[in-house]
Amino acid sequence: MRITLKAMLFAASLIPILHAQMAVSGEAGTALKNDTLRAEPFADAKSSGSFTRGENLDILKKQGAWLQVKAKKGTGWVRLLSVKRGTASAGNQTAGVLAAASGRAGTGQVVSTTGVRGLSEEDLKAAKFNEAEVKTLESYTLSAEQGRQFANAGDLKTIAFSNLKAGKGDAK
Amino acid sequence: MRTFIKTDKQTFIHSKLLISGLLAALLGVSSMPGAAFDLKGVLKDAVEKQTNTQPATAPTDSTAKQPEASTSAATASSEPAAQTGDAGLKEINWKNPSKEEEIALGREIAGNLLGAAPLVKDTALQKYVNSVGRWVASQSERADLPWRFGVIESEDINAFATPGGYIMITKGLYRKLTNEAQLAGVLGHEIGHVVKKHQLKVLQKQQLLNIGAGFLSSKYAKDNKLISKAIGTGAEISARSLDKSAEYEADRLGLSYATRSGYEPYGLTEVLQIIGQTNKSDSSVALLFKTHPHPDERLVALGDAIGNRLDNIKGGKTLENRFYQLKN
Repeated sequence: MRITLKAMLFAASLIPILHAQMAVSGEAGTALKNDTLRAEPFADAKSSGSFTRGENLDILKKQGAWLQVKAKKGTGWVRLLSVKRGTASAGNQTAGVLAAASGRAGTGQVVSTTGVRGLSEEDLKAAKFNEAEVKTLESYTLSAEQGRQFANAGDLKTIAFSNLKAGKGDAK
Repeated sequence: MRTFIKTDKQTFIHSKLLISGLLAALLGVSSMPGAAFDLKGVLKDAVEKQTNTQPATAPTDSTAKQPEASTSAATASSEPAAQTGDAGLKEINWKNPSKEEEIALGREIAGNLLGAAPLVKDTALQKYVNSVGRWVASQSERADLPWRFGVIESEDINAFATPGGYIMITKGLYRKLTNEAQLAGVLGHEIGHVVKKHQLKVLQKQQLLNIGAGFLSSKYAKDNKLISKAIGTGAEISARSLDKSAEYEADRLGLSYATRSGYEPYGLTEVLQIIGQTNKSDSSVALLFKTHPHPDERLVALGDAIGNRLDNIKGGKTLENRFYQLKN
């Protein structure tokens, strides 16, 4: 039974991968808001249609922070965050394959049946202060300088960017 | 119950009760909830017990629910006193807590959370997460805090922050990530909560309300029922929600810090996309979805805030090559 389940999981996790490879064009998406389609991936490009919140979209292409999508009322470019991606990213599915192969799928249902610990309300209810664990956590504390060295090793360079302010559509 | 606060042992009992309550409450807060926080008197009472102060208007009928509370106390009293680390918490200046007081409070809550889910026994993983977190925190407005980060043993998808810079991410969430920019975005969100003192402010507000205006006895008695229930189980409080605006603010800050740090700015939004695809009925996201706005709403809010701000940001790194892979 376990083996069958694993095999099924493995097979099931392969399907989306095949899909993802075929479907660079044609990935499903959903409109997160009403938005205007643009003829090119720029905010000031001319309009080439529109879509409404909740509408199903076909994602045709990605370029930087823009997606080219096919909607009911036209085809065009729209900002990345106007669209909910309908299927998981390829990277994520790879993780799923690995997890299934090792018997530890990333899906909650499977994990819960294998008895792997979650952080449920029951766990919180039973929680007791653990001094040793806090001390271990604190032992990992790094200095700002150590952080900088780590950044340098990855060639990370700070840039000027002021904190985002709440958008006008934000309730509150 | 209040009248019992006399001996050291009993004081300890109250501390334990408080800590449980605080832990549960802060989990609710730090797990970034979505609607109005509705603790009523629960937190006020708990904090008051901790600080050992009496409210300006001492309720006369607070013993009404004594039996329930006594049961909880009996349970707590069986625990060894050595497990608490609340020495620095007795005298918190709630009106204007110092950095040290904030850290001491956060430490208590972090210690309880770690009691529920310990650190993953993988030093290289913990060092990696601390490296990323420390760098991102250095781009925040509170670079001076002794930031510490931990991956905890839980297959749930969630992350937590407690006052003073204790940040924990579950192994279940880490498992969903595929590059360092995404990790930076998630940690940035939690850093944002600490920077804005979202959790601390909830505690302060409750405590100051209590000290200040005083309560109608009848209301207090009603709330006291809630108190013993919540402190006795912890579960009810963690299910409560915070103001949505705190979540959205943390999202904006998290993305901003990660961007300033040199990461690809869309790491956090990718994570929200991934979480948004998790089935709502999946138990691993039960607590997260209960206490946060849905990821779709967060994406929309973040999209509105971003507008064209990122249009000219180039060269951010994802660093998937050095992203630390879990051993299991």
